[in-house]
Amino acid sequence: MSLDQAALAANRFGFGARPGELRSIAGDPVGWVKAQLTPERAPPAVIAALPPAEDDVLAFGRFYVSQRLQGENGERMEQRLERQGVSREDIQRLSTEDAFRQHFRARYDNATKARLDTAFATERPAFERLVHFWSNHFTVSAMKPQAAAMPPSFEKEAIRPHVGGRFADMLVASTKHPGMGIYLDNWSSIGPNSRWAREPRSMPRLGFGPGGRPTGLNENLGREILELHTLGVNGGYAQADVQALAAIITGWTYDRPPARYYFGDEKGTRSGAQLFSFVNDAHEPGAKTLLGKSYPPNGVAQGEAALQDLARRPATARFIATKLARHYIADTPPPAAVDRIAQAFTRSDGDLRATMTALVDSPEAWASPFVKFKRPEEYLISVMRALDIKTLPPGVGANACGAMGQVIWRAQGPDGWADTSGPWLSGDLVWKRIEWAEALAQRVSRADVDPASIGEAVLGPLLSAETRQAVQRAESPMQGMVILLSSPEFQRR
Amino acid sequence: MNLSRRTLVGAGAASLFVPALAFGATTSKRLVVVVLRGGMDGLAAAPPVGDPAYASARGVLAQQKAQTLALDATFALHPRFENLHAMYRAGDAAVIHATCTPYRERSHFDAQNVLETGGVRPYARNAGWLNAALRALPAERAAGRRELGLALAQQAPLILRGDASVATWSPSPLPDANTDTVARLMDLYGRRDPGLATALQSAVAANGIAMDGAGLRAGGRAIAPVTKAAAQFLKLPQGPVAAVVEMGGWDTHANQGAEAGQLANNFALLDQGLAALKSDLGETWRDTVVVVMTEFGRTVAPNGNRGCDHGTGAAAFLLGGAVRGGRVIADWPGLAPNQLNEGRDLRATTDLRAVLKGVVRDHLGVSDANAFPDSAAVRPVDGLLKG
Repeated sequence: MSLDQAALAANRFGFGARPGELRSIAGDPVGWVKAQLTPERAPPAVIAALPPAEDDVLAFGRFYVSQRLQGENGERMEQRLERQGVSREDIQRLSTEDAFRQHFRARYDNATKARLDTAFATERPAFERLVHFWSNHFTVSAMKPQAAAMPPSFEKEAIRPHVGGRFADMLVASTKHPGMGIYLDNWSSIGPNSRWAREPRSMPRLGFGPGGRPTGLNENLGREILELHTLGVNGGYAQADVQALAAIITGWTYDRPPARYYFGDEKGTRSGAQLFSFVNDAHEPGAKTLLGKSYPPNGVAQGEAALQDLARRPATARFIATKLARHYIADTPPPAAVDRIAQAFTRSDGDLRATMTALVDSPEAWASPFVKFKRPEEYLISVMRALDIKTLPPGVGANACGAMGQVIWRAQGPDGWADTSGPWLSGDLVWKRIEWAEALAQRVSRADVDPASIGEAVLGPLLSAETRQAVQRAESPMQGMVILLSSPEFQRR
Repeated sequence: MNLSRRTLVGAGAASLFVPALAFGATTSKRLVVVVLRGGMDGLAAAPPVGDPAYASARGVLAQQKAQTLALDATFALHPRFENLHAMYRAGDAAVIHATCTPYRERSHFDAQNVLETGGVRPYARNAGWLNAALRALPAERAAGRRELGLALAQQAPLILRGDASVATWSPSPLPDANTDTVARLMDLYGRRDPGLATALQSAVAANGIAMDGAGLRAGGRAIAPVTKAAAQFLKLPQGPVAAVVEMGGWDTHANQGAEAGQLANNFALLDQGLAALKSDLGETWRDTVVVVMTEFGRTVAPNGNRGCDHGTGAAAFLLGGAVRGGRVIADWPGLAPNQLNEGRDLRATTDLRAVLKGVVRDHLGVSDANAFPDSAAVRPVDGLLKG
């Protein structure tokens, strides 16, 4: 029985303990983590209920249409829609209501609620942390307006099924998903020598939605796959490789729903994988050379082969191992642990369960509690788990994270949220955590809720004497709760 | 204004921007750096409408000369830079064109790393040039301050990270924390966690000051509320010597627009932010230099999505009462196909570090080589400032 190892396991590998949970972990903390590294049989019900990618595509499209109808060229747009068989009445409704903006917000609130509630209540918090980790590794950020509705279906369809599976599968799923395609512009990238580029008149109407007629190569996704998803920025590639990979994945796009889908109550039903489409007429023909290897012309299989090879590169193993070690062990990852994790990644051909097992078996991961500073979202989740709150109303959790500096699914760029304390351990953000903890404590504190015993229940022997004393000496249970939730032990893992 | 926070400051719980020593002549010079993240299209911000190749090279992104705000025979400002244009005409703003750091690849993150570290290669060091410059500030200028720099952000950006002590501040949507609770946490952090203790100290002090700025609310993309808050700190006699404001949304790969559109809207927000900074600084404007810079420029030709991709030569702005403005500083390389870098980008003919070194030397009195490593051959630009 090791309560301090249990508390460390719950904090570092999970999202913090719920009251009573430490005892069930203490028998075998390492085994408790490992048992959660397998893929899940089915996603939790609230996640399964989230709309598929096609519906996310429609959500942005509707918002876009309503904006455009009110804009300068609204009249021309109305005429165009009428020609496409959309009734005048539907158009009028859309252009006079701001309902779609609301609708947009409601989608975000519902999806963040599903993500957070799952993390608050799950019995497999170590698995859930991995979902968050990989979703951040393959960032699709709502900062880009066109991708604003996409992150939930992307995370559900491209990330979640492959946690505990193969890295290469996740990489391919991510690259094919319209969420990533829209976020990093690849959906409209066409080869300079493709049929569509040579004979623009052969290009059909691309369904309906934002963006003009594509006419050229866009390097954005190709670059970020190399820099952020696989090799890492020092992974030994050149600008020519960026262009080669971008050319290899030209024509990787998605079926755009017809215009009438943007009106009425039609729901999108297709997942990202079902929506994915390879358009040979947009694909750059011929063989391409990536990292010294030639890929013969082979349609979509050319890109699939290139991604499989990228997943197997030693630089990728090292990059992934470093990121995992930074997330779980320390901001400056111990080199020995990185080596071991990278070897496991390579030996298992990118099996993420084997890779994580090597991490969990690393003594470094269990050596020093509290060296990692929690990001706002994981801080919020750990607080909810400690208080045994299993659900929050739509928007409440996401707003709290935003107020503390991390708007869920809205990282600044495709490199995602920083996994080091520097950006988060600032005066401003620490202050906001305290403000938020106080607002929360005012709601949850009662005379019969003893913050000191909550602290002991969820932190066990890791609760310091100083924190316990500060909590006990507080002038009220409410103040004691703020001190507990703001204590170093609660802010770190 | 918030009394509880100010009371804490007065009680000595923290002393951000409150004189540590009671004596002293201390500098009134202020440097504000506005970092535009994502690669601002300098050819859209300050279009070279007089370059004979301009219209054909830029295609759908070209602006009508008549709609732009004229600077000189070659250059103009985008129509949404009305306030900046007024400053230019008043001699308080200059445009630096065809400029870039020594970075020549096309990754945002690497390029921003170079922009902020002041180095030659990305990830060569983990500290920013502005922090290093503040660290090297002559003792008489640093006197009386505990924090020399301020990031108007939830997190201090790399440019301000390093050994010199800096603070962060950003507007909060949350209700205030209780004063007594904060004091107790300060005590607990002091015993257990130096990192949290330092963070909380600077937060408490910063809040007391920023609340003097009116109407500060979190949210939205406008930066005027942020630059207004910056002004409240900067105009204090012992205020920060330097402040950093960041603004995103410049990575215009698709549908960026020309005289109007996505990018034009961002220009308007930036312009309003600069105007708000000037008006809220009041007398302090006279001693202020504002540098507006980005990590790289964008390709000259539009891409297939009516946007443009990562390029090289960019535009930067210098403004402030201390700036010798009313001019475009550029060794113009031209936009004709044979004049471009790799056949696609505006060449960078002015090393941005030369400008920054000139500002840091003449405005802050710092010539420390550590601020811009490996730049001995890069001579500071002379005469950027008045007088």
